[in-house]
Amino acid sequence: MFNFYLLIVILLISFIFFFLGLKEAKKLKLVHKNSLHSLPHYYGLYALLASLLPSLGIYFLMTIGDDFLFSNMIKSYIPDEVTNAKNYNFLIALAQINNSVEGLIFGTPPQWVTNAAEVWKSWVQTSNIIIVSLCLLTSLVSGYYGFLKINENFRSRNAVEKIIMTLLAASSVIAIFTTIAIIFSIVFESVRFFALIPIDEFLFGTVWNPQFEGAERAGSGQQGLSQYGAIPLFAGTFLISFIALCVAVPVGLFSAIYLSEYASSKERAFFKPLLEILAGVPTVVYGFFAALTVAPFLRSSGSILGLDVASESALAAGLVMGIMIIPFVSSLSDDVINAVPQSLRDAGYGLGSTKNETVLKIVLPAALPGVVASIILAVSRAVGETMIVVMAAGLAANLTANPLEAVTTVTSQIVTILVGDQEFESAKTLSAFALALTLIIITLCMNFYALHVVKKYREQYD
Amino acid sequence: MNSKKNDLKSLELTVGDVFSKNARLKARNVNVFYGENKAIDNVTIDIGSKEVISFIGPSGCGKSTFLRCFNRMNDTIVSCIIQGEITIDEENIYDKKIDVVPLRARIGMVFQKPNPFPKSIYDNVAYGPRIHGLSENKEHLDNIVEESLKRAGLWQEVSDRLSSPGTGLSGGQQQRLCIARAIAVSPEVILMDEPCSALDPIATAKIEELIHELGNEYSIVIVTHSMQQAARVSKRTAYFHLGKLIEVGKTKEIFTRPQHNQTEAYISGKIG
Repeated sequence: MFNFYLLIVILLISFIFFFLGLKEAKKLKLVHKNSLHSLPHYYGLYALLASLLPSLGIYFLMTIGDDFLFSNMIKSYIPDEVTNAKNYNFLIALAQINNSVEGLIFGTPPQWVTNAAEVWKSWVQTSNIIIVSLCLLTSLVSGYYGFLKINENFRSRNAVEKIIMTLLAASSVIAIFTTIAIIFSIVFESVRFFALIPIDEFLFGTVWNPQFEGAERAGSGQQGLSQYGAIPLFAGTFLISFIALCVAVPVGLFSAIYLSEYASSKERAFFKPLLEILAGVPTVVYGFFAALTVAPFLRSSGSILGLDVASESALAAGLVMGIMIIPFVSSLSDDVINAVPQSLRDAGYGLGSTKNETVLKIVLPAALPGVVASIILAVSRAVGETMIVVMAAGLAANLTANPLEAVTTVTSQIVTILVGDQEFESAKTLSAFALALTLIIITLCMNFYALHVVKKYREQYD
Repeated sequence: MNSKKNDLKSLELTVGDVFSKNARLKARNVNVFYGENKAIDNVTIDIGSKEVISFIGPSGCGKSTFLRCFNRMNDTIVSCIIQGEITIDEENIYDKKIDVVPLRARIGMVFQKPNPFPKSIYDNVAYGPRIHGLSENKEHLDNIVEESLKRAGLWQEVSDRLSSPGTGLSGGQQQRLCIARAIAVSPEVILMDEPCSALDPIATAKIEELIHELGNEYSIVIVTHSMQQAARVSKRTAYFHLGKLIEVGKTKEIFTRPQHNQTEAYISGKIG
């Protein structure tokens, strides 16, 4: 709450500078008879940004930084008999102190915790005073500096453009850095996994059985009971994705062709949003549709035909996943088919093609790169899909090409491994990161390939 | 321009000779509506066999719309309604019995912007013969392609790269490729909708020369914005204004002694 008021005050100060700057600029405009470089509000905006941005920057740096600082400083307040204890963990001690600071007191905490909490509280008070005074001072000083810069020759429009460009660039950098950070965290954990399990066993092993953590792998010379061969998982993933594509590609592509070439504009306005609703259904809903409706249906119809269908079959998961990715195929394909220039269709009709010939021989070949790209994007979506397979595909890591049997996928294994309490040092838990890394690499490659296909063939028409 | 309305009222019949002795296409009292909007108003004209006729007129006067009536390209526009009668060799093309597929094979079309398919040069030309089943075998198809490209004056330039994409050619070459594609199905009439408006003067000169030659074998209707082009390529000229056919006559006479005051105004640059 306190921080909130501070932010409001900083904002108010910057607004005051905006009006000061605006007024000054208008005055200058009168004095110099319209020879001002930029419009008056750019001068005000410059003063506002000059006041706001540095103080906001300092505010965020300090509020993030003081926790780090305090946790280092508090170390000397933890008595030696605590730090020397066998199961001492600094993070736990820190959590105890923090809880005490927050007023979350369970039972009677040790005396040293209460003491350290008191010290911490006093630090917080000091730091708050420092933050407030520094932020307010910065906003006033830098705002005044921005205000002083206002004269008839100052190019405030260019300066404001530059500041805004920097802000926009910073936002895009955040997204990129987050992605890189995610990948790095996964890479580090995977490296720890590959220190326990050889990489070739992981990539080429055909048995996936992480359930029993046997004797320690390294050191004792004894083989563990668990096995980490990822092939059955990837085979299951691709089997289900393949079934999904067999559903989604024809249905999605044909509906895209119908919508863009045959449907009247009324039908199109009705059907296209309806189809896109499919993309908005949460995957968990598809998941129980697959598990509770499709799978039993397949099982009973299989028994009529004398086939033995597992109650959690790859077929059920694949079919439902196929329905889920129809909108990805149809919506994107529809866009690319629409983007084929009308002049090509006219040329086809002008030569006496029927509608069907025009679509098949002219429009589709011209739209093919985009269609292929939409299919590849749908594949990477299917490979990464989790909820449906968790609910409908089962957990048995069978290496099979039979869609009627239960298989498991990479994503559902990651979920089962990481759900619940886990020991973060065991190969079982770490294997989730190795799986995730492999999966990311595969989908990344597919997305790159899709982009490449689109780029390569884009110049072919128009 | 203030006198436009009065001029139109006084204008009921087309000036000049709309009929032709050996007419191939005949349009009789054709009206075209886009929804409520009347785009073509009671147009009657003959297009003779092996004749090059140009349609001129200011933008939006309906000349392209009228052109597209001849191969029923307006069918693709839902709100478009066509009244009257258009015949090719005495056969009504808007008759229910008429199938547009063979009709469009008889009446070829070349568009304003070169629009080769994103296929090879060979496949572009072979497209029409293939869908209409005109060739008995590969050799025959090769002959049709070569012959069409030769007639379009493109053979020398592309004979060594028939398998490269048609879209890689220059604008003028692309347009000649489109002409080759149109004549590959041996049509009787070729409709050209401002075929040179997207081309530079040199490419335009080549196309005009080509039209001149093709005029010995086909009936050609060319819509153009350039009066010089109409004067260069066509024997007859029709002047359209606001959906009406104002004047038809020998090109020479239209450009030297226009009978209607509106034609004269357009030609001398007062309207349009």
